[in-house]
Amino acid sequence: MSNPIGTRIADLINTEWMEREMSNIDRRSLVKGSLATMMAGAAFSRAAFAQSSEPILLGVSGPLTGPNAQYGTQWKQGFDLALDEIQAAGGINGRKLAYQFEDSQSDPRQSVAIAQKFVSDPRIVMELGDFSSPASMAASPIYQRGGLVQFGFTNSHPDFTKGGDFMWSTSVSQADEQPLLASYAVKRLGLKKLAVLHLNTDWGRTSRDYFVKAAKEYGAEIAVTEGYIAEERDFRSTLVRVRDANPDGLILISYYSDGALIARQARQVGLKQTMCAASSVYSPKFLELGGEAVENVHLGTRYFPEDPRPEVKKFIAGFKAKYGGQEPDAFNAYSYDAMNMAAAVLKIGGTDRRAIRDAFAKVKDVSSVIFGQATFDVESRRVKGAMNAELVVRKGQFALWDGKPT
Amino acid sequence: MAERPNSMLSLRGLTRRFGGLTAVDAIDLDLAKGELVSIIGPNGAGKTTLFNLVTGLDRPDAGTVSFEGQDVTGLSPERIATEGIARTFQLGRVFGNLSVMDNVLIGAHTRLRAVKPAVPVIGPLLELGLALLRPASVKAEEERLREEMKAILARFGERLLSRIDQPAYSLSYANRRRVEIARALALKPRLLLLDEPTAGMNPTETAEMQALVAELKAEGLTILLIEHKLEMVMRLSDRVIVMDEGKKIAEGPGEQVRSDPKVIEAYLGHGLATKQESAA
Amino acid sequence: MSSWLDYTINGLIVGNVYALVAVGLALIFGVSRLINFAQGSIYLVGAYIGWVAVVQLHTPLPLTIIVVAVAAAVVGLIIERFGLRPLQNSVRIAPLLATIGISFVLDQLVMLTFSPNPRALPSQLPDIRFQVGGGTIGPLDLLIAGVGLTSALLLFVFLRYTKLGWAVRATAQDRDAAMQMGVDVNRVNQAVFGIAAALGGVSGLLVGMYYNQIDTAMSLQATLKGVVAEVVGGAGNVPGAVIGSLLLGLVESYGVAMLGTSYRNLFAFLLLVVVLVLRPNGLFVSARQAPPEPLTGTFIAPSRPVHIPRWALLVAVAGFAILPLFPVSFYVLQTLINAWLLGMLALSLTLVAGTMGQVSLGHAALLAIGAYTSALLSLTLAVPVGLAVIGGGLMSAALGTLLISPSFRLRGHYVSIATLAIGEIVALVILNWESVTRGPIGISGIPPLSLFGYDLIGPTSIYWFSLAVMVVLALLQGRLLTSHLGRSFRAIRDDDIAARAYGLGLNRYKSLAFIFGGFAAGISGGIAAHLYSYINHETFNTQQSILALTVVILGGLGNVVGAILGSVALVGLPEVFRIAAEYRILIYGIVLLLLVRFRPQGLLGTV
Repeated sequence: MSNPIGTRIADLINTEWMEREMSNIDRRSLVKGSLATMMAGAAFSRAAFAQSSEPILLGVSGPLTGPNAQYGTQWKQGFDLALDEIQAAGGINGRKLAYQFEDSQSDPRQSVAIAQKFVSDPRIVMELGDFSSPASMAASPIYQRGGLVQFGFTNSHPDFTKGGDFMWSTSVSQADEQPLLASYAVKRLGLKKLAVLHLNTDWGRTSRDYFVKAAKEYGAEIAVTEGYIAEERDFRSTLVRVRDANPDGLILISYYSDGALIARQARQVGLKQTMCAASSVYSPKFLELGGEAVENVHLGTRYFPEDPRPEVKKFIAGFKAKYGGQEPDAFNAYSYDAMNMAAAVLKIGGTDRRAIRDAFAKVKDVSSVIFGQATFDVESRRVKGAMNAELVVRKGQFALWDGKPT
Repeated sequence: MAERPNSMLSLRGLTRRFGGLTAVDAIDLDLAKGELVSIIGPNGAGKTTLFNLVTGLDRPDAGTVSFEGQDVTGLSPERIATEGIARTFQLGRVFGNLSVMDNVLIGAHTRLRAVKPAVPVIGPLLELGLALLRPASVKAEEERLREEMKAILARFGERLLSRIDQPAYSLSYANRRRVEIARALALKPRLLLLDEPTAGMNPTETAEMQALVAELKAEGLTILLIEHKLEMVMRLSDRVIVMDEGKKIAEGPGEQVRSDPKVIEAYLGHGLATKQESAA
Repeated sequence: MSSWLDYTINGLIVGNVYALVAVGLALIFGVSRLINFAQGSIYLVGAYIGWVAVVQLHTPLPLTIIVVAVAAAVVGLIIERFGLRPLQNSVRIAPLLATIGISFVLDQLVMLTFSPNPRALPSQLPDIRFQVGGGTIGPLDLLIAGVGLTSALLLFVFLRYTKLGWAVRATAQDRDAAMQMGVDVNRVNQAVFGIAAALGGVSGLLVGMYYNQIDTAMSLQATLKGVVAEVVGGAGNVPGAVIGSLLLGLVESYGVAMLGTSYRNLFAFLLLVVVLVLRPNGLFVSARQAPPEPLTGTFIAPSRPVHIPRWALLVAVAGFAILPLFPVSFYVLQTLINAWLLGMLALSLTLVAGTMGQVSLGHAALLAIGAYTSALLSLTLAVPVGLAVIGGGLMSAALGTLLISPSFRLRGHYVSIATLAIGEIVALVILNWESVTRGPIGISGIPPLSLFGYDLIGPTSIYWFSLAVMVVLALLQGRLLTSHLGRSFRAIRDDDIAARAYGLGLNRYKSLAFIFGGFAAGISGGIAAHLYSYINHETFNTQQSILALTVVILGGLGNVVGAILGSVALVGLPEVFRIAAEYRILIYGIVLLLLVRFRPQGLLGTV
């Protein structure tokens, strides 16, 4: 907590205001959920909210409990930081911005109910989430038909934005990201024979395919690919398979927790090859969980601590100040960017749901940690051109790779 | 020992071992149509195991079971039931959550027309279809069976008739035994195996049960009876078989068996002389 | 060649890890014939207490172990005293459900206290590596093996040669007789839960250190693998649990060696199913032992169902049917659509688990089969959606019955474990059979529901459609229950030996129950697929199976109206608790526990 007193007070005021406002919302939704919605839910008047002094409300559908709960909590951190900054800068055309987070457990059954809840609640102008593809894409038809933007900022599934023109995503397309990683591994690190370990989910599988394609184009050989389920903790036998394929490099298409486990066990079974990981391992937790074993692991990321870009400096400094010195990770950055993007869209589109959809096509060069300047490609409804930095773990810290072999 | 020509049930050298123990040891037995044969012997003599071997709940290690000239050794219990062999159980096995009527109707299960087609896959599916569609013939059959079951239950007076829709677990012990016997009769058995039908009953109830078994015998039913109450055995049986440690040690008319020194030895040797005396 | 040595060593190493959980499970099963689904949660609690001790209090390792063991034992004692002891005389399924509820509560408490982010749990042992084969092992590997073997050995000695151990064994053999002989059964249970929980806590600590990582999702996975290992070794057999664990580790490791990492769990669950089918009492229990469950009537307790008059049902159905005509929000309708879909699954499960007595823990597999069949029929063969959904139901009925048939010869909890494994196998086949199921990418762009050429896309029309389908299925099931088949199913459930003696073949009638139930579940899955437009291997998971079972028990086993009432309650409650945000699953778990405690026969009673 080393930030200047002025900002602290601003923070306090903002936080307090936020809390009060959120609890109001909660209380209201309690009444609504039990009585009002049952009897008179559909009879809302949209006009009543047009000139309201109440905050503009976003709906968030994501996991706060269940096996993916950690990602929901990370989202909240990024959202709250972005909101502090947005309110401090005067909100959305003078109105405050707030969000209502509904826990879906990343379960499609709950995400569809939440989708109907948001669609039928006229205060909600846009939705963010969900986390997993089954939960997000099950809700898409409801958002599309209900005419509410579903802004999925971690949805890399190639079909997510094909759900309709109300589906928009700032998730880095794996078609963009994986060639960057392949280039790092093959062109820059000079690896020629690769073993790919990937999370066997839609994300991991899609990523693997793009990676393999790009790596082959760059002239590398793929010795073996191994998909593992998210709950897996023991990789020793997998790594023996990898060893027997005799690669000169290991590619980890992993999240930070499984990535750290693989790195540790790779060292235990005696693998000394270079490891190169997808940006999703970029988290201080990767260093904490991996310990010495992640030393010299290479990774491509969208931003890094010493990044000179002003938006990154602001994000990292703000995050550390708000969360007691904690370093932000990839998911914090995604949600932070998403909230900023939502604000930028609302500034153009106002509070009309269709106008908001149209505004996604109009926003230009929104300041973004991940993209630098984010502009949507209207065709794919995604953002192209993610930033790329080539990092390596040195002395237990992420550092920009100096070009020296490891 | 050659098979008797008029024999309904024939056991030859029937043997069942459990580990080192031979529970049933080379038993030969013939039962003629209409005959009532009792099996007596001390606890653990292998009587119930013998019943299990006949009804297919257990498989013999050696020997054969033939029923009406047909080899039924090692057939499944559900298959043997379709042959017309019904049994009751020593400790009583009613279906606790089923009503008295449903318990008895289960006894008539093998007679249902829906159950009959034995074609694999198609047969069961037809059964499912008939159960759901319930054409008039199925409904009529069910109605007819219900009337018939009431007639069977009426053999026990108002005891069961008045409780016809109550779940079996709510019945008294004696009534559960009666339900078991009614269920066995519902099968319209050609051979009835009764395993201690009066166990746990007081003298009045025992007398009633004895009268019922006598009535069944008079109706021409072939019965194999396991019973500890010797007086009842003596009154009812055409023949008595005595088992001890899995072996048949005596066979013949009641009075003859009763005075057989081997039988007395078996009971005395097992310290059960008192039981024999009190029962006699 | 040297690789096989490595695979063997790796198999033994991970087997060691499984053994720690399996031994605790075996001990509890041995005494109370209960699969303690909360064992994984105690393991979780142990890991986090260990984290506090190591990272915050900097305790040395021996002290850490003692602290964790004592704290976990206390948790175990609390569970025994307040969670399970009150259920001693209720339905046999009640304690099982209670342990599931307890695990919900414990996992949520840990998550709320420590946040769901994974944490590092550094090992306190020196970082020395010994070269073995191509890889290395460290002191922790040896410590884990040591703790596993020593605890198994100590337990063995305790059970054989101490007075309390004798009491434990006597209770395991025959609880009532032991009580009559003056054994204090409650004290025995306390001892067993205390020991098992201490062991579970320490295993969480050691495994956490081993991976240098603990998180709140580790609990279910630990329970699953522990249960597999325990049953393979022979449920209730402590040394068997250790050997079963090592065997499980080896089979997984060799499976990875042969077919690759994504087949690992497939091998684990196949091993379980094979063992259950060939040696239902486990590998190390002699086949001549008494059947694993009492033969009669104790699994489903006798009860009198609540009678609901026909007019009341008619009024309720009519009320729900006209609900969309009132200004009700789509959110409420959508929530009820979810309830109707869960209701169809619950109808299916209440038939097989309640009426037939085959308590399935893998019922979500039937949803998945129906969903994939319907989705693929409509997408690749352009079958009209209405017909595709029916096709999904039929496929689920046929394939589901075929897959579950190996469990027909099992009784009681063994059925649950076998079906759990079969459910996992289906999910893993969906994940790996990419040419058909598109693997983890899943199937997207599934066309919306339609009937006779009219798309059903608005919540109101979907609501009416799903309500109508569920009501039809419920009526059919009601009709089935009043036929001779309903009677036959219930007879087999109450006493399969007597039923067989009266001509009821178990395979035939269990198949019929699963065919009928599989159809309902497949229809539910099919509708869900078209509703969601996207499905993958995670859409229909174990949580769904557990939820469905909870619904069935809540409503009353075999009770058609109860299944629907339970579905509305269990879909509705978490939505009502939404205002409680992170706390809602905790509240839900507590409500569940209270229901099991005070109404174990379910709201409407067993039929």
